[in-house]
Amino acid sequence: MERIYVTARLNGTSLQFEEAAFARLESYLAEAGKALEGNPDRAEILADLEQAVADQCRQRMRADQVAVTLRNLEPALEEIGPVQVPGSDASDAPPPPPRHDGRHLEQVSQGALISGVCKGLARYMDLDVVLVRIIALVLLFISGGAMIVVYLVLMMLLPFAPYQPGAGQVGKLPAKCREFVEYVRSKLSAAPG
Amino acid sequence: MLSESKLAPIRKGLLEFLVLKIVGARSVYVPDILRRLAGTEFATQEGTLYPLLSKLRREDLVQYQWQESDAGPPRKYYRLTDAGKAQLETLDDYWHRINRTISEIGH
Repeated sequence: MERIYVTARLNGTSLQFEEAAFARLESYLAEAGKALEGNPDRAEILADLEQAVADQCRQRMRADQVAVTLRNLEPALEEIGPVQVPGSDASDAPPPPPRHDGRHLEQVSQGALISGVCKGLARYMDLDVVLVRIIALVLLFISGGAMIVVYLVLMMLLPFAPYQPGAGQVGKLPAKCREFVEYVRSKLSAAPG
Repeated sequence: MLSESKLAPIRKGLLEFLVLKIVGARSVYVPDILRRLAGTEFATQEGTLYPLLSKLRREDLVQYQWQESDAGPPRKYYRLTDAGKAQLETLDDYWHRINRTISEIGH
């Protein structure tokens, strides 16, 4: 199998992206463009943002990496933050960095074993993640494997918690899971109807 | 308890003043500004800063110059225009007056 990359031109410099990462970048820039609707400096600000994305992604790529992955892009976009136009009250979002109160049911990629469903559940219910994993394993055996389906459904449905600095690394498998889920979601949202 | 929703507008109103102050101290590019604000109450992201700088440039308070960098593409270095310097001085004065008022009232 061959991997297909997308080449993006960001403020004049070319950078290769994996497909899911490219879709995410497109939606970020589209959102930024919408927030800047009617702004006389729209083109300039978008160019600045593109440059910022390119710089941030490059900093996060390993030397041998040819294309930007979601794992590079998410923390980069997190750091750049959403576009907020001065003087407009429509964009009165809470100030960065967004502190997480843990009240939402999400999957947590950072420090996860598979996709972060157990970690998310643990945070949601304020339990130790090890306990949640043990319960999940016990249920897996009792149910004769049916828990796998439950896990997969949760994995596809639960939103991903935003990346938080200092909350640990994203392992290889959680990154793959997240990439896969985001890819499926981007395909589903792109499909008509 | 003091709620965040009361504090956010105060910070928001002061951000422009602080950016003028930073740019006024010496010619800087965006990561310099972010670094200076990081860890303060005014920690800011590029998504907020770029639109603000564009607005300040349009108001002729700051201007930028492209400068080559050792690594990567050329960077925009911002500095104050004369109008920007005058505005910063006015804001500084105003801020001191407000501060005095706040500390005098109610004592």
